[in-house]
Amino acid sequence: MIQYSNMADTVLQTNNLTKEFTRLRGLSSPRNFFDKITFTAVRDVNLSVKRGEIFGLLGPNGAGKTTLTKVLCTLILPSSGSASVCGFDLARQQSRVKASIALISSEERSFYWRLSGLRNLEFFATLYGLSGRQAAERIPEVLEVVGMTEAAGRRFQEYSTGMKQRMGLARGLLADPEIFFMDEPTKGLDPLAVKELHSLIRNQLTAQGKTVIMATHHLAEAEQVCDRVGIMSRGSMRAVGSVRELAGDDSLADFFHFLVKDDLSMEH
Amino acid sequence: MLRKPMALLKKDFLLEISYRFSFFLQFGGIFFSVVMFYFVSVLIGESPTVQNSLSRYGGDYFSFVLIGIAFSNFLSVGLGSFSTNIRGEQMMGTMEAMLVTPTRLPTIIISSSQWSFAFTSLRVAVYLILGAIFFGVDFSKADVLPALAALLLTVIAFSSLGIISASFIMIFKRGDPIAWVISTSSTLVGGVYYPISILPDWLQSFSYLFPITYALDAIRLALLQGEGYSSAVGRDLTALIIFSLVTLPISLLVSRYAVARAKKDGSLAYY
Repeated sequence: MIQYSNMADTVLQTNNLTKEFTRLRGLSSPRNFFDKITFTAVRDVNLSVKRGEIFGLLGPNGAGKTTLTKVLCTLILPSSGSASVCGFDLARQQSRVKASIALISSEERSFYWRLSGLRNLEFFATLYGLSGRQAAERIPEVLEVVGMTEAAGRRFQEYSTGMKQRMGLARGLLADPEIFFMDEPTKGLDPLAVKELHSLIRNQLTAQGKTVIMATHHLAEAEQVCDRVGIMSRGSMRAVGSVRELAGDDSLADFFHFLVKDDLSMEH
Repeated sequence: MLRKPMALLKKDFLLEISYRFSFFLQFGGIFFSVVMFYFVSVLIGESPTVQNSLSRYGGDYFSFVLIGIAFSNFLSVGLGSFSTNIRGEQMMGTMEAMLVTPTRLPTIIISSSQWSFAFTSLRVAVYLILGAIFFGVDFSKADVLPALAALLLTVIAFSSLGIISASFIMIFKRGDPIAWVISTSSTLVGGVYYPISILPDWLQSFSYLFPITYALDAIRLALLQGEGYSSAVGRDLTALIIFSLVTLPISLLVSRYAVARAKKDGSLAYY
C-alpha cells in the first residue's frame, strides 16, 4: 500500500497500476479452447495529479484511457499496483473513493430518457447521498451552472446532444466531488457546444478548486484545456507534462504527428 | 436508510407509468385470464373427480386455480425480476451511472426489484377482487395473517433463487438456466393449475422440492378454508423457512462472487 503522508496537494496517485483482461481462446481455436489469452489494457501506470489541476489522458483509441478512468472510478478492479484517490485507497475504500468523484462520460444513455432532466437529477442526488433538503437546494444551483434551468422539466429524450452533455456535468456537480473524471466529454458535440463545455470546465470547476481528469484523443482540446497531459499508448503512460513541453520531445514526434492528423481528419 | 430504495422505487414507478398504454393493458390481461379460467371451471368443475381432488381446498376449481395463477406471479417476479432489471439497466446504459455513485451494489440490485413486487401485489389483489366480486369466490373464511406469512416466506425463497439467477446474468449476460428450470418445473409440478395429488407418485415426490408447492398449499388453505396455523399450514411454513435458510446464504455468496468476477472482467455495466 502507498503511504500518503506529505501529499496534501496530491489528490490522485497511482503506483504501477495495471489492468489485464484474461479470456479463454474459445471457438476461435477449438483445439486450444481452454487456453487463456491475456490482454494488458493498462500497464504499470505511475501518475500524480495535484488538487485543482486539469489533467489530460491523451492518446489514440485503444490506448487504455477509458480503462484507466474506469479503474480509478472503481468500476473495474485493477490486476496489480495501487492507487489513492483523494487520500482513499482504491482497493480498500471504494465507497469513500466514490463519494469523492464524479464520472462524466460521453455516454448519453446513462440517463433515463423517459424522465425529465429534473427527475433524473433528483434520483441521482439521492444515490449520491444528498438529503431531500440538500437536493432541493443543490439541483437548482447545478442547473443554473450548466444553463439548463429552463429545460429541466422536459423529458431527457427531447434534449440535444449538447444539452445531454450539460446534464451529465450537472449530475457530476450534484455531490460537489473533489475530482471530475471526464471520458471524451466532447464526443459528438458541435464546435459551439465544445467551446461552452471547455468554458464550464475552466470557469466553473477549476475556479472552485476542483480537479479534472479528462480522457481525450484530441490534441487541440488537450492543449486548450489541460494544464498537463499524460500521453498513453498501448496501455502505458509514455510521458507526462504540458502539451507544449511534450511537443518539443523528439521521441514523441510520431505520436504528435498521428494526433494532429487525427484532429485534422475530424475537422474535415 | 430507506431513501435510496425509495428513490429507486419512485424512479421505476415513473418509468412504468410513462408507458400508460402498457400499464393499463396488463390489467386487461388479468381480466381475460380470469374469465378464461372461469369458463374452464364451468366445464370441468362439476366433475366428481375434480371435486374429490380439491376437497382439501373446498372443492371449487375456480377458487383453486384463481389463487394458483394469481400467486404464481410472485414466482415469476421473484425468479426473474432481479436479472431482468439488472439487464434492463445494463441495456439502457444507466447501470454504470449508478455504480459510480456511493450506493452499494446489493442496494441497487435488491431495490431495483421493489417495483416489480409492488406491481405484482397489485396484480394479485386485482385477481382476487375480480374473483370475489364477479365470479363468486368465497373468501369469507379467509385467515389473512398465515397467508401473508406464507407470502413473505415465498417472496424470500423465490427472491433468493432470483438473486442466484441474476448472478448468472452478471457473468454470462444471457442464458440463465436457473430461472428457466425452476420456473417451468414449478409450473408443471407445483400445483398452479391442478392439485399435485393427481400427479403420479414419482412426479409428486418432485413437487416437494419446489417452494411453490408449499406456498400455494398454505395460501389456499388459509384463504379458502380459513386454516390458521394448522398442522398443514405449519408444515408448509416450516418448509418455506427451511428453503429460505438454505437459499438465502447461497444466493448472497453466489452474487458476491458474480459481482467480484464482473468487476474483474470490467463487464458489470455491459450486456
